Amino acid sequence: MQKQVAGLHKNVGRASPRPASKSLLREIKKNWIAYLFILPAMVGIFAVILVPLVQAIVISFKRYYILDILREDPPFVGLANYAAILSDPQFWYSLKITVWFTFACVALTMLFGLLIAILLDQDFPGKDIVAVSVLVPWVIPRVASSILWKWIYDDQFGILNYMLSKIGLKSFASFPWLSRAGSAFWAVIIVVVWQSVPFIAVSLLAGLKTIPNEVYEAAEIDGAGFWQKTTLISIPMLRNLITILIVMSTIWDFKVFDQMFVMTEGGPAGSTMVLGIYTWMMAFGRLQMGLASALAMIMFVLVMIVTVIYLKLLMREETL
Amino acid sequence: MRNPKLGRRALLKYTVIYVAAAAVMFVSLFPFLWMISTSFKPTSETFTRIPRLIPKNPTLDNYKMVLGETMIPKYFLNSLYVAVLTTAISIIVASLGAYGFSRFRFPGRTPALIMILGVQMFPSQVIIIPLFIVMKNLALLNTHKSLLVSYTTFTLPLTVWMLKGFFDEIPRELEEAALIDGCSKLGAFTKIVLPLSLQGIVASAIFAFIGAWNEFMFAMTFINLEELKTMPVGLTSFFGRFTVEWNPLMAASVLFTIPSLIFFALVQHNLARGLVAGAVKG
Repeated sequence: MQKQVAGLHKNVGRASPRPASKSLLREIKKNWIAYLFILPAMVGIFAVILVPLVQAIVISFKRYYILDILREDPPFVGLANYAAILSDPQFWYSLKITVWFTFACVALTMLFGLLIAILLDQDFPGKDIVAVSVLVPWVIPRVASSILWKWIYDDQFGILNYMLSKIGLKSFASFPWLSRAGSAFWAVIIVVVWQSVPFIAVSLLAGLKTIPNEVYEAAEIDGAGFWQKTTLISIPMLRNLITILIVMSTIWDFKVFDQMFVMTEGGPAGSTMVLGIYTWMMAFGRLQMGLASALAMIMFVLVMIVTVIYLKLLMREETL
Repeated sequence: MRNPKLGRRALLKYTVIYVAAAAVMFVSLFPFLWMISTSFKPTSETFTRIPRLIPKNPTLDNYKMVLGETMIPKYFLNSLYVAVLTTAISIIVASLGAYGFSRFRFPGRTPALIMILGVQMFPSQVIIIPLFIVMKNLALLNTHKSLLVSYTTFTLPLTVWMLKGFFDEIPRELEEAALIDGCSKLGAFTKIVLPLSLQGIVASAIFAFIGAWNEFMFAMTFINLEELKTMPVGLTSFFGRFTVEWNPLMAASVLFTIPSLIFFALVQHNLARGLVAGAVKG
C-alpha cells in the first residue's frame, strides 16, 4: 500500500517539466519558497562541512605546527606535506592495514548479514526472539561495546580465554589478544563485524521480504531446493541492494576510529594504526596539522572514489 | 507430514534452523549479558578462574559506586543535554529541508540532494582539523556549543534524507486541498504533513539522538574539562592505566546503553527504512 503511494508520487514528481535554461530565472522565482525551506539545512552543511573541507585543503599545503602559530602565520610549503606523507613508511603500512581491515570487515559482515537475513526470512516458532536478539550488538554504543570486548579479551580473567581453554584449547589460557600485533588486528575486526552485522542483516531481510512468494513457489514446483532458491533467486534479485550495502560498509569501515582507538589506540607498537587513527594522532597527538590535513585529504580522496561509485549505484536505483 | 521422506526433510530443516538460531542468539546476546552480569558482581567474583554468568552474590555496589563516587552521572547528563538538543535542532531544520526537497522541483534540487548524500560519507578526520581551529579561534573549545554545532550538522544529511522519504509517501492531494481552502504553504506543512509523518519524525529523531549519544572523536578532541565531558569520553578516561576495575566500568557501560536500548525498542519496525537511502524500497 505504502509502496503504491510512493510510486504514485514519483510519477507526479516526474511529470513536472524540466526547466529550459531560458526560463531558469522564472523557475527559481516560482519556487522561491522551496529555497527558504532548505536554507537552514544548506547553510549548516555549507558552514560546518563544506567550508572546513576547503580549509583542510588549504592547511594541507601549509606547515601548520600548532605550537608555532603563536609566533607566526603558518607558511605555505607547496606539496611538501604530501611528499613527506608519501615517503613515510608508517603511512604505507597504515594504508595497507586499513585496506585489509576494511576488506575483512566488509566480507565477514556481508557473509554473516546475509546468513542471518536468510535465517530470519524462514518461518519458525520463536523467530521474533531471534530477530530481536540480533539487534542487540547494534544497540550498545560503540565505545561501551569496545570496553566490554576489552574485558572479554582480558588475558587473565577474560571469558573468551576461559571458554577457549574449556573446550580444550589450552594454549589460549592466558592469551593476550590485544597486546599482540596479529591478534589485536583480528580482535578489533571481530568487534566491528559484531556491531555491523545487525544493520546489514535487517536491510537484507527487508530486501528479501520484497521478493514475492510466487517466485519461490514457482521455483519449488520446478524442483529447486533451498540452496538453489538462495543462490539463483534471492541473491541475484538483491544484487543492487547487496552492492549498495557493500559500498556503504566499505566507506564506514575504512574510516574506523572508535573501536580501534578504545581497544588498541593503534598499538601494540603501531601495528593497528589504521589511517583514521594515524590522521587523528598526527593532528592532536603530534600537533602537526599540516601533515595531518594532507593525510586526511588522501583519506578523503580514497573515500570519495568509493562514494562516487555509491552515488552512481543509488541514482540507478531510484529517482531522487 | 504423512510422507516419511518429507517428514525427514522438515526435521533436517528445523534442526539446521534451530542450531543456526541458537548460534546467532549466543553470539549476539552473550557479550551483552556478560556486561550486565559483571556489573552486578562483587570484585571477588570477577577475578576468579571459574567465571559464572549468574552472580553468586549479586550486588548493587558497582552502581552505587558509579553513581555516587564518580563523574559518571555528570557525563551522563552532559551526553543527554547534547544529544537532546542536537536532536531537536536537527529535526526542525531537517523537516523544513526535507519538505522543500519532497514537494518542490526547483533548479539546483538534484545537485543539492547529491551533495547531501555525498557529505554523509565524508571522513570526519577531514573536517575535524579545520573545525578544531575554528572552534579554538571562536573560543568554543571546551563548550557544549562546539559539539552541538558539529553534531547537528553531521546528523542533517541522514535526517533530511529519512524525512524526505517519509514526506514523499504522503499524498500531495491532502495539502492541495488545504491550499485551496486558503491555508499557506507553511500552514499546509505544519498542519497536514508534520502530523501525518509523526512516525517518520520519531524514527529520524531517534537516529539523530543515537548519533549524538555515540559520538566519540569530536567529543574527545573538543573537550577536556572533566565537568563537560560526555559519556563516551568519560568512560574511556575512567580506565585506570594499570588497574582496571571491570565491575564499575561495566555498570557505567550498562547505564550508557540504557537510553539507546529504549530508543531502539521504540523504532524497531522502522529500523531499515530510510537508512539505506531508499534502496530497500524494492
